[in-house]
Amino acid sequence: MITEREAIAAARASAKSTGSSKAMNCAEFQRELPLIIDSGGSPEQEKHLRSCAVCRSLVDDLRYIAEQAKLLVPMFDPSPRVWEGITEKLQQEGLVKPFQARRS
Amino acid sequence: MVKSNDDLRLCIVFSNALAWRGGIYLVIRKAADDDTQFQPVAETAVPAAALHDDAKGPLLSIGKKILTAGISEAQAIERAQQGEGESFETLYGMHKRRVYSLCLRMTGNTAEAEDLTQEAFLQLYRKIATFRGESAFSTWLHRLAVNVVLMHLRKKGLPEVSLQETLEPSEEDGPKKDFGANDQVLAGSIDRVNLERAIESLPPGYRIIFVLHDIEGYEHNEIAEMMGCSIGNSKSQLHKARMKLRDLLRVVRAERGAVKK
Repeated sequence: MITEREAIAAARASAKSTGSSKAMNCAEFQRELPLIIDSGGSPEQEKHLRSCAVCRSLVDDLRYIAEQAKLLVPMFDPSPRVWEGITEKLQQEGLVKPFQARRS
Repeated sequence: MVKSNDDLRLCIVFSNALAWRGGIYLVIRKAADDDTQFQPVAETAVPAAALHDDAKGPLLSIGKKILTAGISEAQAIERAQQGEGESFETLYGMHKRRVYSLCLRMTGNTAEAEDLTQEAFLQLYRKIATFRGESAFSTWLHRLAVNVVLMHLRKKGLPEVSLQETLEPSEEDGPKKDFGANDQVLAGSIDRVNLERAIESLPPGYRIIFVLHDIEGYEHNEIAEMMGCSIGNSKSQLHKARMKLRDLLRVVRAERGAVKK
């Protein structure tokens, strides 16, 4: 199984061998994007991002999705059946005495 | 700060109040004896609909309802460890929403989420005596719930993460020629409902990683450990999940635009 460090080293080596004398293209940038999007890229990758509207739009969207996901609070309530099932099971196992019926 | 009938000093903290358009998220804290800090007593999400008619009434009534137990989380844990059933019920009340939301988002299925929530709390009850407080109780319970869901998915034979997957992108992950530079970015166009729906429609493997990392805040090394995959694999799956969500949300936005025209 490939480790993260090996993957980054391989990606960098690949970028050097294929494009050391010319600017990084979209395919090269997007191939490495999973590894750098949350941590920031190399100067070469940042340079591509500044000059390429397509990749910039992609990165902006992916970061925006991640930001919006962080705002999703736990807002779903389980039905009363869940608590009833828990108490029933615990009483069957003899782990607790019968609970006072406080919930409907 | 408000005072309750029990003369407890309380502080209600609004978290994500501005960002969450569906309502507000409340964390209710009680002052410690030495006044140096506020301990969390309960938390709840309050939908916007509950706030429109009377901004004061619903908030206070919700606060009172939650606080009827009248004990802190730490006290409830201690008593539950001694086998007191009602304290366990208090812990259930404090954490049911977070655990159930996690199960629902990871499975995308209400019935399964309810069964898994039940199983997570049953395991909690059986294991609570082993909780030693090295981590926060909510962190401990949450990890337990994630493990319950993952175990369930393994039993079902659903793919979590393809172990054969490498960092080489598939064709669908390549540059999107059809998304030109003049396309609008998504910023400002996503609402919570559409995002929740899009997440629900993700393939299970993508959905699990996305929920664990982007919603629940687990790091890639933690996810890799829980799921038995590499960190690179976790990053790759997360990236594919976000790409898929981007596609889904752009379709939603395009459909909205078409309706307006």
